[in-house]
Amino acid sequence: MSHLLEVDDVSKSFGGHAVVRHVSFVLDAGASLGLVGSNGAGKTTLFRCIAGELPIDSGSILLDGDALPSRPDARARRGIARTFQIVELFGGQTVLDHVLVALQAHQGHQGPWRDLVHGGRTSSGERERCMGILALVGLADRAETPATTLSLGDRRAVELARALVGEPRLLLADEPSSGLDGEESRILIHILNRVRKETGVAVILVDHDLGTVKAVADTVIAMDAGAVIAAGTYETVVSNPQVMSSWLGQSS
Amino acid sequence: MSEFFSFVLQNVPWGCTFALVAVGLVLTYRATGVFNFGFGAEAYAAGLIYAELYWHGVDRLWAAILVVVVIAPLFGALLDWGLFSRIPPGNSMAKIVTSLGVMVVLPSVVQIFVGATNVSAPPAPLFNEYLPVWHIGSGPLFVSGSELTTMLATAIVLIVLMLGLRSRRFGLPMRAAVESPKLLELMGVNAKRVSRGSWMLATMLAGLAGVLFAPTETPISANNYSVILVAAIAAAALGALRSLPLAVVGGVALGVVQGVVQGYVASDSVWYQALVPSLPFFILLVLLLVHPGMRRLENRNDPMSGVEPPAPPPALALRPPHINRVIHRFRWLVLGTVTLVVITFTPGPWIAALTIGASFSVIFLSITLITGLAGQLSLAQAAFAGVGAATTAQLAVNENVPVLIAAVAGAVVAGLGGWVASLPALRLRGLPVTLLTLCLALLADNLIFPTSWIGGGDNGLNVPRPHIFGIDFTAVDSKPFLLLVLAVLLAVSGVVHVLLRGTTGRALAAVHVSPVGAASAGVSVRRLTMFVFFLSAAIAGIGGSLFAMSYLQESPSDFNWFFGPTFLVIVVTVGATTVEGAIEAGFGYALIAQALTYLPSTVSTNTNATQGALTVLILSVGAFTYATHPEGIVEAVKRSLARTVFRAVPANPAERRTRGVS
Repeated sequence: MSHLLEVDDVSKSFGGHAVVRHVSFVLDAGASLGLVGSNGAGKTTLFRCIAGELPIDSGSILLDGDALPSRPDARARRGIARTFQIVELFGGQTVLDHVLVALQAHQGHQGPWRDLVHGGRTSSGERERCMGILALVGLADRAETPATTLSLGDRRAVELARALVGEPRLLLADEPSSGLDGEESRILIHILNRVRKETGVAVILVDHDLGTVKAVADTVIAMDAGAVIAAGTYETVVSNPQVMSSWLGQSS
Repeated sequence: MSEFFSFVLQNVPWGCTFALVAVGLVLTYRATGVFNFGFGAEAYAAGLIYAELYWHGVDRLWAAILVVVVIAPLFGALLDWGLFSRIPPGNSMAKIVTSLGVMVVLPSVVQIFVGATNVSAPPAPLFNEYLPVWHIGSGPLFVSGSELTTMLATAIVLIVLMLGLRSRRFGLPMRAAVESPKLLELMGVNAKRVSRGSWMLATMLAGLAGVLFAPTETPISANNYSVILVAAIAAAALGALRSLPLAVVGGVALGVVQGVVQGYVASDSVWYQALVPSLPFFILLVLLLVHPGMRRLENRNDPMSGVEPPAPPPALALRPPHINRVIHRFRWLVLGTVTLVVITFTPGPWIAALTIGASFSVIFLSITLITGLAGQLSLAQAAFAGVGAATTAQLAVNENVPVLIAAVAGAVVAGLGGWVASLPALRLRGLPVTLLTLCLALLADNLIFPTSWIGGGDNGLNVPRPHIFGIDFTAVDSKPFLLLVLAVLLAVSGVVHVLLRGTTGRALAAVHVSPVGAASAGVSVRRLTMFVFFLSAAIAGIGGSLFAMSYLQESPSDFNWFFGPTFLVIVVTVGATTVEGAIEAGFGYALIAQALTYLPSTVSTNTNATQGALTVLILSVGAFTYATHPEGIVEAVKRSLARTVFRAVPANPAERRTRGVS
């Protein structure tokens, strides 16, 4: 049986500077993986390669054993959703609008013909589905609120709802606890684990907060200077001498 | 060979004019972060004031010094204080709209208040116009006083600016103020003062360019300055709007290449008339497509941008629902009453004006779609209207196709033009898209419309009106034709309205604000961009056809390139994000012009040109408030009124909950 995601010998450089070097790993359906490493280790670049925002120089990325389309929107519709380190919301749209945009894009219900036929109205089924996802991330009571007026934690939840409404197979969460305080991080971890449990989505998580990684990820990969330096359970990786050396600058 | 060198040398001074303006554009962009579309208008105003001062007896050198050293910098300070300093650093769209506002409004202001439409060229501030003829090699080299002044000024300006921008004391704060004014203030530098100084310097350069260009063309006209500006954009693009030496090299090279081509091509050939003036636009188009620096123009990240309040969101989302509710409930009543009154009581000239207004409204709806919703500042909508009008005219006149079917074909052809424009636009964002559409409009104006098999030649084509159900639509003030145009307007409005409130509108708004976020949500940015370019161009094409039918004529100058920015500024001023904004702008444009014909004939400025300028001024001046009111100033006033009327009920559901209102 093939894995959900197969990243095989992927490399990416910018102007001759190798940012991701020969990275390989696999991820099974429903599993979760934490990517850790210092700033500049290549985590976000790897993320962007998987999401289709950057073309890879060499190697391959397969989903369910199949090659992925090149454009990020096509990958999103194939089942790869993502959230962003710096939240990317649609200013002026409500929380519900954010989820509707994604839902209609995934269902192929987005376009002028549909608008002309339905007079631009949203169906009750679509609305119910969106409200269900918003309930999952704890935003059902703020569906009509302009998303940019929410707190950072809630804005991250909006991104999460937008990512999940298309029923992705894989969720790429880029530093979801960045900028959140302890309580907000705890709520976010709770939401992520609940989402995993209820939807069965596989998660790749990049985060500097090791507590978040430990709480969400089944396995962890540590990166340094674009290459994988350790992989395994959280405990194995954080106690790896090479990882210690990379993070703390120790020789052993 | 000596002939070739003669052509080259003769055109270096002309190239220096491009170079000087290009240097001004680069300086403004580097020192203020604004691509100053108003540079040509500022230069025109400076040239005109210089000429007026000279013709009123002021010594030419003193007149030039007064304009360049006193008036221009003061105007620059005024621009910064009144307009640009109020725009948040990250709001590049507001910067473009505001500078387009300067481009459109300033010539109108000058025309109205200076009243100058026929001012003769003054002499150059230095040297005599007729200098001794120099001999280089075997041929004579004619260099006039104004050309010598321009060349000297270009060299001096280049050296001074290059040293200045590199200096730690002046150049570093200037560049830093563009990247992050907040960060500069944290370093203890007054960023506002730096920005003001930059604007004063940049406008001083516009003043210098204006004074130096004024002696070369008589009478002094805003159009000549605009043409120089556009050519200079191509020169500035060579250095990605950042390199002063490359801007100079580009400017001189452009002038020389144009001169050499002009020298070798027969002056009565189509190449001479079409290719030579279009050369800068071709070069700009190519640079936009292949120069990586031009594609990355918008990639500027202020590390302190989070400290600034977020840019105002698109207007539709924040509109109090009460206005929408009132409009929805009463629209048919209002439309019916207005139509009845119009048909029953309106006199002939006003019927014609209303018909033109309805045609403009259709064209303006294309701007609602592409700018108000998709966030692309297209300067080519007038050109697409022209394509629609020309196609309709050609099919109806030369192929005997029924004019309504020809209009549909015109819309399709214009739409295909829009689709073609979308292909390069897919790789660009922000300012480069605006420049791209400007290029397309200019190319249409120079290459497409003047040809007899498209634009109908110098005199254009007579466009018939439809004959359906035995109704006579042919009278100039035909009421049935007004009804027909209103019906088309209603249909197009309906389509745009449905798209605005439907899945397309939501997705386009998402792409506008965050293309990366939209793509991650599965929205096909590519498909939507191509669609919105196609549809908006097609709608503009329908409007253009109606306009041509209204006038019973289509002529190549009906939709010259300057109408592109003018239309955009007018729609943005009134309200680019709602359907009724475009309709109000269209009727406002036509009806204000009609009302101004009633000005007493004793008013000395009451000429057609002044009436046109006044109409544009009245409708465009609100563009200067775009930074604070991206929904349009008229729309903002509507909302303010609605807030007053519906004060008891908060608009925002969240606010409603907070205040305990169910």
